[in-house]
Amino acid sequence: MNLSIQRTLAIFLKDVKDVTRNLFVTTTLLVPILLAIAYRNLGDITLEIHYTVINLTFSSVTAFVQCTLIAEEKEKNTLRTLMLSPATTSEILLGKSLLSLLITLITILLCIQITGYVPEHVGLFALGIIGSCLFYLALGTVLGLITKSVMEASVVVLPIMFLFGFGTMLETLASNNAYLKLLEYLPNLQLLRFAELLEQQKFTSLGLPLLVIGIWSVLSALLAVMVYRKQLNSR
Amino acid sequence: MPIIEVDQITKEFSGQVALNKISFSIQQGEVFGLVGPSGAGKTTLLQLLTGQVKADTGQAKVLGHTTNRLRGEQLQEIGIMTDNSGLYDRLSIYDNLKLYCRLYGCSLKRIEEVLMIVHLGAEQKKKVQHLSKGMRQRVLLARALLHEPRLLFLDEPTSALDPMNTYYIHQGLRALNQKGTTIFLTTHDMREAEALCHRVAFLHEGKLPLMGSPTKLRERFSDATVTVRLTGREPMILQNGPEDAKKMYDYFCSNQVVTIHSNEPTLDEIFIHVTGRGLV
Repeated sequence: MNLSIQRTLAIFLKDVKDVTRNLFVTTTLLVPILLAIAYRNLGDITLEIHYTVINLTFSSVTAFVQCTLIAEEKEKNTLRTLMLSPATTSEILLGKSLLSLLITLITILLCIQITGYVPEHVGLFALGIIGSCLFYLALGTVLGLITKSVMEASVVVLPIMFLFGFGTMLETLASNNAYLKLLEYLPNLQLLRFAELLEQQKFTSLGLPLLVIGIWSVLSALLAVMVYRKQLNSR
Repeated sequence: MPIIEVDQITKEFSGQVALNKISFSIQQGEVFGLVGPSGAGKTTLLQLLTGQVKADTGQAKVLGHTTNRLRGEQLQEIGIMTDNSGLYDRLSIYDNLKLYCRLYGCSLKRIEEVLMIVHLGAEQKKKVQHLSKGMRQRVLLARALLHEPRLLFLDEPTSALDPMNTYYIHQGLRALNQKGTTIFLTTHDMREAEALCHRVAFLHEGKLPLMGSPTKLRERFSDATVTVRLTGREPMILQNGPEDAKKMYDYFCSNQVVTIHSNEPTLDEIFIHVTGRGLV
Protein backbone atom coordinates (compact mmCIF):
# COMPACT_ATOMS: atom_id res chain seq x y z
CA MET A 1 0.00 0.00 0.00
CA ASN A 2 1.37 3.35 -1.11
CA LEU A 3 0.78 5.94 1.60
CA SER A 4 2.21 9.44 1.80
CA ILE A 5 1.64 11.04 5.19
CA GLN A 6 2.05 14.49 3.65
CA ARG A 7 -0.75 13.94 1.13
CA THR A 8 -3.03 12.30 3.69
CA LEU A 9 -2.51 15.17 6.13
CA ALA A 10 -3.04 17.74 3.35
CA ILE A 11 -6.51 16.31 2.67
CA PHE A 12 -7.26 16.15 6.41
CA LEU A 13 -6.15 19.75 7.03
CA LYS A 14 -8.17 20.96 4.08
CA ASP A 15 -11.23 19.22 5.55
CA VAL A 16 -10.61 20.80 8.96
CA LYS A 17 -10.65 24.29 7.42
CA ASP A 18 -13.61 23.50 5.22
CA VAL A 19 -15.78 21.91 7.91
CA THR A 20 -15.30 24.72 10.42
CA ARG A 21 -17.08 26.94 7.88
CA ASN A 22 -19.79 24.37 7.18
CA LEU A 23 -22.80 24.98 9.44
CA PHE A 24 -24.61 21.95 8.03
CA VAL A 25 -21.96 19.65 9.47
CA THR A 26 -21.13 21.53 12.67
CA THR A 27 -24.75 21.66 13.84
CA THR A 28 -25.00 17.88 13.39
CA LEU A 29 -22.41 17.47 16.12
CA LEU A 30 -24.88 18.92 18.59
CA VAL A 31 -27.40 16.06 18.21
CA PRO A 32 -25.71 13.46 20.46
CA ILE A 33 -24.52 16.14 22.88
CA LEU A 34 -28.06 17.45 23.33
CA LEU A 35 -29.32 13.88 23.76
CA ALA A 36 -26.64 13.26 26.39
CA ILE A 37 -27.69 16.41 28.26
CA ALA A 38 -31.34 15.34 28.09
CA TYR A 39 -30.57 11.88 29.49
CA ARG A 40 -28.39 13.37 32.24
CA ASN A 41 -31.29 15.58 33.31
CA LEU A 42 -33.57 12.52 33.48
CA GLY A 43 -31.13 10.92 35.93
CA ASP A 44 -30.51 7.19 36.58
CA ILE A 45 -28.66 6.42 33.38
CA THR A 46 -28.38 2.74 32.50
CA LEU A 47 -25.68 1.14 30.36
CA GLU A 48 -28.18 0.93 27.46
CA ILE A 49 -28.68 4.68 27.61
CA HIS A 50 -24.94 5.38 27.65
CA TYR A 51 -24.62 3.26 24.52
CA THR A 52 -27.69 4.75 22.87
CA VAL A 53 -25.84 8.08 23.02
CA ILE A 54 -22.60 6.49 21.78
CA ASN A 55 -24.33 4.64 18.95
CA LEU A 56 -26.19 7.79 17.98
CA THR A 57 -22.84 9.56 17.84
CA PHE A 58 -21.60 6.90 15.44
CA SER A 59 -24.57 7.17 13.13
CA SER A 60 -25.30 10.89 13.32
CA VAL A 61 -21.72 12.10 13.53
CA THR A 62 -19.36 9.47 12.13
CA ALA A 63 -21.48 8.07 9.30
CA PHE A 64 -23.34 11.31 8.60
CA VAL A 65 -20.33 13.64 8.56
CA GLN A 66 -18.29 11.17 6.52
CA CYS A 67 -21.15 10.66 4.08
CA THR A 68 -21.67 14.42 3.72
CA LEU A 69 -17.97 15.15 3.23
CA ILE A 70 -17.66 12.55 0.47
CA ALA A 71 -20.98 13.48 -1.17
CA GLU A 72 -20.00 17.15 -1.26
CA GLU A 73 -16.69 16.29 -2.91
CA LYS A 74 -18.66 14.36 -5.51
CA GLU A 75 -21.28 17.04 -6.03
CA LYS A 76 -18.69 19.79 -6.51
CA ASN A 77 -16.48 17.59 -8.73
CA THR A 78 -13.57 17.99 -6.34
CA LEU A 79 -13.37 14.23 -5.75
CA ARG A 80 -12.84 13.75 -9.47
CA THR A 81 -10.03 16.31 -9.33
CA LEU A 82 -8.48 14.53 -6.34
CA MET A 83 -8.66 11.26 -8.26
CA LEU A 84 -6.74 12.87 -11.12
CA SER A 85 -3.99 14.01 -8.76
CA PRO A 86 -1.08 11.77 -7.71
CA ALA A 87 -2.89 10.96 -4.42
CA THR A 88 -3.59 7.23 -4.12
CA THR A 89 -6.84 5.55 -3.08
CA SER A 90 -5.56 4.92 0.44
CA GLU A 91 -4.34 8.51 0.85
CA ILE A 92 -7.64 9.98 -0.30
CA LEU A 93 -9.84 7.62 1.72
CA LEU A 94 -7.71 7.88 4.85
CA GLY A 95 -7.34 11.65 4.53
CA LYS A 96 -11.10 11.98 4.09
CA SER A 97 -11.76 9.80 7.16
CA LEU A 98 -9.40 11.40 9.68
CA LEU A 99 -11.61 14.38 10.41
CA SER A 100 -14.76 12.30 10.97
CA LEU A 101 -12.73 10.00 13.24
CA LEU A 102 -11.39 12.92 15.26
CA ILE A 103 -14.80 14.58 15.57
CA THR A 104 -16.34 11.27 16.63
CA LEU A 105 -13.79 10.64 19.36
CA ILE A 106 -14.16 14.18 20.74
CA THR A 107 -17.97 13.93 20.68
CA ILE A 108 -17.96 10.55 22.44
CA LEU A 109 -15.59 11.91 25.10
CA LEU A 110 -17.89 14.89 25.62
CA CYS A 111 -21.00 12.71 25.72
CA ILE A 112 -19.65 10.23 28.27
CA GLN A 113 -18.47 13.17 30.37
CA ILE A 114 -22.03 14.51 30.30
CA THR A 115 -23.75 11.18 30.97
CA GLY A 116 -21.09 10.26 33.52
CA TYR A 117 -20.12 6.94 31.97
CA VAL A 118 -16.92 5.46 33.37
CA PRO A 119 -15.92 2.33 31.48
CA GLU A 120 -14.65 -0.62 33.45
CA HIS A 121 -11.51 -0.92 31.36
CA VAL A 122 -10.49 2.17 29.34
CA GLY A 123 -8.20 0.30 26.93
CA LEU A 124 -10.80 -2.31 25.99
CA PHE A 125 -13.51 0.34 25.80
CA ALA A 126 -11.31 2.31 23.37
CA LEU A 127 -10.79 -0.85 21.30
CA GLY A 128 -14.55 -1.37 20.96
CA ILE A 129 -15.07 2.30 20.09
CA ILE A 130 -12.31 2.41 17.45
CA GLY A 131 -13.48 -0.87 15.91
CA SER A 132 -17.05 0.42 15.65
CA CYS A 133 -15.86 3.78 14.37
CA LEU A 134 -14.10 2.10 11.44
CA PHE A 135 -17.37 0.45 10.45
CA TYR A 136 -19.33 3.72 10.51
CA LEU A 137 -16.58 5.57 8.63
CA ALA A 138 -16.64 2.96 5.88
CA LEU A 139 -20.44 3.01 5.83
CA GLY A 140 -20.46 6.81 5.51
CA THR A 141 -17.87 6.59 2.73
CA VAL A 142 -19.93 4.07 0.77
CA LEU A 143 -23.11 6.14 1.14
CA GLY A 144 -21.27 9.31 0.13
CA LEU A 145 -19.83 7.59 -2.93
CA ILE A 146 -23.08 6.10 -4.19
CA THR A 147 -25.06 9.33 -3.86
CA LYS A 148 -24.77 12.27 -6.20
CA SER A 149 -25.32 15.22 -3.90
CA VAL A 150 -25.26 16.28 -0.27
CA MET A 151 -29.06 16.52 -0.34
CA GLU A 152 -29.41 12.95 -1.60
CA ALA A 153 -26.80 11.73 0.89
CA SER A 154 -28.55 13.33 3.84
CA VAL A 155 -31.76 11.50 2.89
CA VAL A 156 -30.06 8.15 2.26
CA VAL A 157 -28.28 8.31 5.61
CA LEU A 158 -31.55 8.69 7.59
CA PRO A 159 -32.58 5.00 7.73
CA ILE A 160 -28.99 4.17 8.64
CA MET A 161 -29.14 6.69 11.47
CA PHE A 162 -32.35 5.11 12.68
CA LEU A 163 -31.17 1.51 12.38
CA PHE A 164 -27.81 2.04 14.03
CA GLY A 165 -28.51 5.09 16.17
CA PHE A 166 -31.54 3.77 17.97
CA GLY A 167 -30.63 0.16 17.40
CA THR A 168 -30.60 -0.69 21.09
CA MET A 169 -34.40 -0.42 20.95
CA LEU A 170 -34.36 -3.13 18.30
CA GLU A 171 -33.11 -5.56 20.88
CA THR A 172 -36.56 -5.98 22.39
CA LEU A 173 -37.99 -6.53 18.93
CA ALA A 174 -35.29 -9.06 18.08
CA SER A 175 -35.89 -11.11 21.17
CA ASN A 176 -39.54 -11.72 20.12
CA ASN A 177 -38.85 -12.92 16.60
CA ALA A 178 -36.54 -15.72 15.45
CA TYR A 179 -35.69 -14.05 12.11
CA LEU A 180 -35.06 -10.71 13.74
CA LYS A 181 -32.58 -12.41 16.05
CA LEU A 182 -30.04 -11.72 13.30
CA LEU A 183 -30.34 -8.06 14.24
CA GLU A 184 -28.40 -8.91 17.37
CA TYR A 185 -25.35 -9.20 15.14
CA LEU A 186 -25.56 -5.58 14.08
CA PRO A 187 -22.42 -3.70 15.15
CA ASN A 188 -24.33 -1.33 17.44
CA LEU A 189 -25.90 -4.21 19.40
CA GLN A 190 -22.60 -6.05 19.46
CA LEU A 191 -21.00 -2.94 20.96
CA LEU A 192 -23.65 -2.95 23.67
CA ARG A 193 -23.05 -6.67 24.27
CA PHE A 194 -19.33 -5.91 24.46
CA ALA A 195 -19.98 -3.15 27.03
CA GLU A 196 -22.18 -5.44 29.14
CA LEU A 197 -19.49 -8.12 29.22
CA LEU A 198 -16.91 -5.49 30.03
CA GLU A 199 -19.07 -4.21 32.86
CA GLN A 200 -19.41 -7.75 34.20
CA GLN A 201 -15.63 -8.14 33.83
CA LYS A 202 -16.09 -11.22 31.63
CA PHE A 203 -12.94 -10.40 29.71
CA THR A 204 -12.61 -13.85 28.15
CA SER A 205 -16.02 -13.49 26.46
CA LEU A 206 -15.19 -10.16 24.83
CA GLY A 207 -13.69 -11.84 21.78
CA LEU A 208 -16.97 -12.69 20.04
CA PRO A 209 -18.57 -9.21 19.97
CA LEU A 210 -15.18 -7.72 19.05
CA LEU A 211 -14.81 -10.25 16.25
CA VAL A 212 -18.30 -9.46 14.91
CA ILE A 213 -17.58 -5.72 15.01
CA GLY A 214 -14.23 -6.41 13.33
CA ILE A 215 -15.90 -8.41 10.54
CA TRP A 216 -18.43 -5.61 9.95
CA SER A 217 -15.58 -3.09 9.81
CA VAL A 218 -13.41 -5.10 7.43
CA LEU A 219 -16.31 -5.93 5.10
CA SER A 220 -17.54 -2.36 4.96
CA ALA A 221 -13.99 -1.04 4.43
CA LEU A 222 -13.55 -3.47 1.53
CA LEU A 223 -16.88 -2.36 0.11
CA ALA A 224 -15.82 1.30 0.42
CA VAL A 225 -12.57 0.63 -1.46
CA MET A 226 -14.46 -1.35 -4.10
CA VAL A 227 -17.03 1.40 -4.67
CA TYR A 228 -14.24 4.01 -4.74
CA ARG A 229 -12.26 2.01 -7.30
CA LYS A 230 -15.38 1.70 -9.42
CA GLN A 231 -15.78 5.47 -9.34
CA LEU A 232 -12.09 5.85 -10.11
CA ASN A 233 -12.39 3.71 -13.19
CA SER A 234 -15.43 5.63 -14.40
CA ARG A 235 -13.89 9.02 -13.48
CA MET B 1 9.22 10.22 -29.20
CA PRO B 2 5.70 11.72 -29.28
CA ILE B 3 4.31 12.84 -25.94
CA ILE B 4 0.81 11.73 -26.98
CA GLU B 5 0.13 8.85 -29.36
CA VAL B 6 -3.38 7.91 -30.38
CA ASP B 7 -3.82 4.85 -32.54
CA GLN B 8 -7.15 3.84 -34.08
CA ILE B 9 -9.23 4.84 -31.06
CA THR B 10 -12.93 4.07 -31.14
CA LYS B 11 -15.45 4.93 -28.44
CA GLU B 12 -19.20 4.40 -28.48
CA PHE B 13 -21.85 5.48 -26.01
CA SER B 14 -25.10 3.49 -26.17
CA GLY B 15 -24.51 2.56 -29.79
CA GLN B 16 -23.61 6.12 -30.80
CA VAL B 17 -20.08 6.55 -32.12
CA ALA B 18 -18.28 9.36 -30.31
CA LEU B 19 -14.81 8.62 -31.70
CA ASN B 20 -14.25 6.61 -34.85
CA LYS B 21 -10.79 5.12 -35.47
CA ILE B 22 -8.93 8.28 -34.58
CA SER B 23 -5.15 8.42 -34.90
CA PHE B 24 -2.70 11.26 -34.31
CA SER B 25 0.41 12.10 -32.34
CA ILE B 26 1.68 15.19 -30.55
CA GLN B 27 5.32 16.13 -30.05
CA GLN B 28 6.92 17.59 -26.94
CA GLY B 29 6.50 21.39 -26.80
CA GLU B 30 3.53 21.55 -29.16
CA VAL B 31 0.27 23.38 -28.51
CA PHE B 32 -2.32 21.17 -30.12
CA GLY B 33 -5.94 22.24 -30.50
CA LEU B 34 -8.82 19.86 -30.97
CA VAL B 35 -11.55 21.87 -32.61
CA GLY B 36 -15.14 20.97 -33.18
CA PRO B 37 -18.72 21.92 -32.37
CA SER B 38 -20.33 21.04 -29.03
CA GLY B 39 -21.05 17.33 -28.84
CA ALA B 40 -18.39 16.43 -31.43
CA GLY B 41 -16.53 14.22 -28.94
CA LYS B 42 -13.78 16.63 -27.87
CA THR B 43 -14.33 16.11 -24.15
CA THR B 44 -14.58 12.33 -24.66
CA LEU B 45 -11.18 12.33 -26.34
CA LEU B 46 -9.69 14.47 -23.58
CA GLN B 47 -11.17 12.18 -20.93
CA LEU B 48 -9.77 9.20 -22.77
CA LEU B 49 -6.30 10.73 -22.86
CA THR B 50 -6.41 11.50 -19.14
CA GLY B 51 -7.54 7.99 -18.23
CA GLN B 52 -11.06 8.97 -17.25
CA VAL B 53 -12.68 6.92 -20.00
CA LYS B 54 -11.58 3.67 -21.61
CA ALA B 55 -11.49 3.23 -25.38
CA ASP B 56 -13.55 0.42 -26.94
CA THR B 57 -10.79 -0.34 -29.42
CA GLY B 58 -7.39 1.12 -30.23
CA GLN B 59 -4.75 2.45 -27.93
CA ALA B 60 -3.72 5.83 -26.55
CA LYS B 61 -0.41 6.54 -24.89
CA VAL B 62 0.50 9.61 -22.87
CA LEU B 63 4.12 10.15 -21.83
CA GLY B 64 4.76 6.62 -23.07
CA HIS B 65 2.12 5.03 -20.82
CA THR B 66 -1.19 3.50 -21.82
CA THR B 67 -3.84 5.99 -20.69
CA ASN B 68 -6.01 3.55 -18.74
CA ARG B 69 -3.02 2.80 -16.54
CA LEU B 70 -2.13 6.36 -15.58
CA ARG B 71 -1.15 6.36 -11.92
CA GLY B 72 0.50 8.70 -9.41
CA GLU B 73 3.88 8.91 -11.13
CA GLN B 74 2.43 9.81 -14.51
CA LEU B 75 -0.27 12.06 -13.07
CA GLN B 76 2.57 14.00 -11.40
CA GLU B 77 3.67 15.11 -14.88
CA ILE B 78 0.21 15.97 -16.16
CA GLY B 79 -1.95 19.01 -15.49
CA ILE B 80 -5.67 18.83 -16.19
CA MET B 81 -8.14 21.68 -16.35
CA THR B 82 -11.68 20.89 -17.38
CA ASP B 83 -14.74 23.08 -17.21
CA ASN B 84 -16.20 20.82 -14.52
CA SER B 85 -13.07 20.67 -12.38
CA GLY B 86 -14.08 21.49 -8.85
CA LEU B 87 -12.86 24.00 -6.30
CA TYR B 88 -13.58 24.21 -2.59
CA ASP B 89 -16.01 27.12 -2.38
CA ARG B 90 -15.64 27.83 1.34
CA LEU B 91 -11.85 28.01 1.11
CA SER B 92 -9.71 30.86 -0.21
CA ILE B 93 -7.88 30.69 -3.51
CA TYR B 94 -4.64 30.25 -1.55
CA ASP B 95 -6.00 27.34 0.52
CA ASN B 96 -7.33 25.62 -2.59
CA LEU B 97 -3.91 25.83 -4.20
CA LYS B 98 -2.14 24.87 -0.98
CA LEU B 99 -3.91 21.51 -0.93
CA TYR B 100 -2.69 20.70 -4.43
CA CYS B 101 0.78 21.99 -3.65
CA ARG B 102 0.93 19.37 -0.89
CA LEU B 103 -0.53 16.65 -3.10
CA TYR B 104 1.99 17.31 -5.86
CA GLY B 105 4.81 17.88 -3.41
CA CYS B 106 5.73 21.34 -4.67
CA SER B 107 6.92 24.35 -2.72
CA LEU B 108 4.33 26.81 -1.40
CA LYS B 109 6.26 29.53 -3.23
CA ARG B 110 4.75 28.15 -6.42
CA ILE B 111 1.35 29.47 -5.32
CA GLU B 112 2.56 33.08 -5.60
CA GLU B 113 4.18 32.31 -8.95
CA VAL B 114 1.14 30.72 -10.56
CA LEU B 115 -1.16 33.41 -9.19
CA MET B 116 1.07 36.01 -10.84
CA ILE B 117 0.74 34.14 -14.13
CA VAL B 118 -3.07 34.24 -14.00
CA HIS B 119 -3.13 37.75 -12.50
CA LEU B 120 -4.79 36.76 -9.25
CA GLY B 121 -1.98 37.60 -6.86
CA ALA B 122 -4.00 40.31 -5.13
CA GLU B 123 -7.08 38.10 -4.76
CA GLN B 124 -5.45 35.08 -3.11
CA LYS B 125 -7.29 35.51 0.20
CA LYS B 126 -10.69 35.74 -1.46
CA LYS B 127 -13.00 32.79 -0.91
CA VAL B 128 -13.74 30.87 -4.09
CA GLN B 129 -17.50 31.26 -3.56
CA HIS B 130 -17.10 35.00 -4.12
CA LEU B 131 -15.28 34.68 -7.44
CA SER B 132 -16.68 35.29 -10.92
CA LYS B 133 -16.68 32.46 -13.47
CA GLY B 134 -13.67 33.97 -15.19
CA MET B 135 -11.71 34.16 -11.96
CA ARG B 136 -12.62 30.56 -11.11
CA GLN B 137 -11.31 29.48 -14.51
CA ARG B 138 -8.09 31.31 -13.76
CA VAL B 139 -7.81 29.56 -10.37
CA LEU B 140 -8.31 26.22 -12.14
CA LEU B 141 -5.56 27.10 -14.57
CA ALA B 142 -3.31 28.17 -11.71
CA ARG B 143 -3.94 24.82 -10.02
CA ALA B 144 -3.12 22.92 -13.21
CA LEU B 145 0.17 24.83 -13.47
CA LEU B 146 1.27 24.40 -9.84
CA HIS B 147 3.50 21.38 -10.38
CA GLU B 148 4.92 22.65 -13.70
CA PRO B 149 3.50 19.75 -15.70
CA ARG B 150 5.19 18.46 -18.82
CA LEU B 151 1.81 18.03 -20.41
CA LEU B 152 -1.29 20.16 -19.86
CA PHE B 153 -4.82 19.16 -20.87
CA LEU B 154 -7.35 21.97 -21.16
CA ASP B 155 -11.03 21.50 -21.93
CA GLU B 156 -12.55 24.71 -23.32
CA PRO B 157 -10.28 26.88 -21.15
CA THR B 158 -11.94 30.17 -22.00
CA SER B 159 -15.52 29.18 -22.79
CA ALA B 160 -17.94 31.95 -21.81
CA LEU B 161 -15.20 34.21 -20.50
CA ASP B 162 -14.91 37.92 -21.11
CA PRO B 163 -12.04 39.20 -23.29
CA MET B 164 -9.96 40.30 -20.28
CA ASN B 165 -10.08 36.88 -18.60
CA THR B 166 -9.45 35.19 -21.95
CA TYR B 167 -6.43 37.43 -22.48
CA TYR B 168 -4.96 36.53 -19.06
CA ILE B 169 -5.46 32.82 -19.66
CA HIS B 170 -3.92 32.97 -23.15
CA GLN B 171 -0.99 34.95 -21.81
CA GLY B 172 -0.44 32.34 -19.07
CA LEU B 173 -0.59 29.48 -21.56
CA ARG B 174 1.90 31.07 -23.93
CA ALA B 175 4.34 31.66 -21.08
CA LEU B 176 3.99 28.06 -20.01
CA ASN B 177 4.50 26.70 -23.51
CA GLN B 178 7.63 28.82 -23.89
CA LYS B 179 9.02 26.97 -20.88
CA GLY B 180 8.48 23.67 -22.70
CA THR B 181 5.06 22.46 -21.55
CA THR B 182 3.09 20.61 -24.19
CA ILE B 183 -0.53 21.75 -24.31
CA PHE B 184 -3.52 19.79 -25.57
CA LEU B 185 -6.64 21.91 -25.65
CA THR B 186 -10.17 21.49 -26.88
CA THR B 187 -12.13 24.47 -28.08
CA HIS B 188 -14.94 25.49 -30.35
CA ASP B 189 -13.45 28.96 -30.60
CA MET B 190 -11.44 29.10 -33.84
CA ARG B 191 -9.86 32.42 -32.89
CA GLU B 192 -8.52 30.80 -29.74
CA ALA B 193 -7.19 27.88 -31.77
CA GLU B 194 -5.49 30.26 -34.21
CA ALA B 195 -4.06 32.40 -31.44
CA LEU B 196 -2.59 29.56 -29.40
CA CYS B 197 -2.07 26.40 -31.41
CA HIS B 198 0.84 25.20 -33.47
CA ARG B 199 -1.47 22.57 -34.94
CA VAL B 200 -5.21 22.07 -34.95
CA ALA B 201 -7.33 19.05 -35.72
CA PHE B 202 -10.98 19.27 -36.73
CA LEU B 203 -13.18 16.75 -34.99
CA HIS B 204 -16.38 16.02 -36.87
CA GLU B 205 -18.75 13.09 -36.36
CA GLY B 206 -16.10 11.19 -34.46
CA LYS B 207 -13.41 11.58 -37.12
CA LEU B 208 -10.54 13.95 -37.78
CA PRO B 209 -11.05 15.05 -41.38
CA LEU B 210 -8.31 17.70 -41.27
CA MET B 211 -5.21 18.45 -39.25
CA GLY B 212 -2.35 20.90 -39.61
CA SER B 213 -0.94 24.26 -38.61
CA PRO B 214 -3.48 27.11 -38.83
CA THR B 215 -1.21 29.02 -41.26
CA LYS B 216 -0.72 26.03 -43.54
CA LEU B 217 -4.43 25.20 -43.50
CA ARG B 218 -5.33 28.76 -44.45
CA GLU B 219 -2.77 28.70 -47.24
CA ARG B 220 -4.04 25.37 -48.47
CA PHE B 221 -7.61 26.59 -48.73
CA SER B 222 -6.67 30.06 -49.96
CA ASP B 223 -7.60 31.17 -53.49
CA ALA B 224 -4.43 33.30 -53.66
CA THR B 225 -6.24 36.61 -54.05
CA VAL B 226 -6.11 39.93 -52.22
CA THR B 227 -8.82 42.53 -51.78
CA VAL B 228 -7.58 46.03 -52.49
CA ARG B 229 -9.43 49.18 -51.53
CA LEU B 230 -8.45 52.30 -53.41
CA THR B 231 -9.26 55.94 -52.69
CA GLY B 232 -12.82 56.70 -53.75
CA ARG B 233 -13.43 53.32 -55.39
CA GLU B 234 -15.15 50.03 -54.53
CA PRO B 235 -12.87 47.23 -53.21
CA MET B 236 -11.50 44.96 -55.92
CA ILE B 237 -10.09 41.48 -55.91
CA LEU B 238 -6.71 40.92 -57.50
CA GLN B 239 -5.12 37.59 -58.34
CA ASN B 240 -1.60 36.29 -58.70
CA GLY B 241 -0.19 36.97 -62.16
CA PRO B 242 1.52 39.64 -64.27
CA GLU B 243 -1.69 41.42 -65.25
CA ASP B 244 -2.89 42.14 -61.69
CA ALA B 245 0.70 42.69 -60.53
CA LYS B 246 0.99 45.53 -63.04
CA LYS B 247 -2.29 47.02 -61.83
CA MET B 248 -1.12 46.78 -58.26
CA TYR B 249 2.17 48.47 -59.11
CA ASP B 250 0.30 51.33 -60.76
CA TYR B 251 -2.05 51.76 -57.77
CA PHE B 252 0.93 51.97 -55.43
CA CYS B 253 2.77 54.41 -57.68
CA SER B 254 -0.27 56.68 -57.83
CA ASN B 255 -0.83 56.55 -54.03
CA GLN B 256 -4.35 55.18 -54.45
CA VAL B 257 -4.08 52.18 -52.11
CA VAL B 258 -6.02 52.53 -48.84
CA THR B 259 -5.96 48.88 -47.62
CA ILE B 260 -4.93 45.43 -48.85
CA HIS B 261 -6.38 42.28 -47.30
CA SER B 262 -5.33 38.74 -48.00
CA ASN B 263 -8.29 36.53 -48.80
CA GLU B 264 -7.14 33.49 -46.87
CA PRO B 265 -10.13 31.74 -45.33
CA THR B 266 -10.56 31.72 -41.56
CA LEU B 267 -10.47 28.41 -39.71
CA ASP B 268 -14.25 28.76 -39.29
CA GLU B 269 -14.67 28.91 -43.06
CA ILE B 270 -12.32 25.98 -43.58
CA PHE B 271 -14.25 23.96 -41.02
CA ILE B 272 -17.54 24.69 -42.77
CA HIS B 273 -15.94 23.87 -46.12
CA VAL B 274 -14.59 20.53 -44.88
CA THR B 275 -17.48 19.37 -42.74
CA GLY B 276 -20.43 21.13 -44.30
CA ARG B 277 -21.45 22.59 -40.95
CA GLY B 278 -20.51 25.39 -38.61
CA LEU B 279 -19.29 25.49 -35.05
CA VAL B 280 -21.97 25.91 -32.43
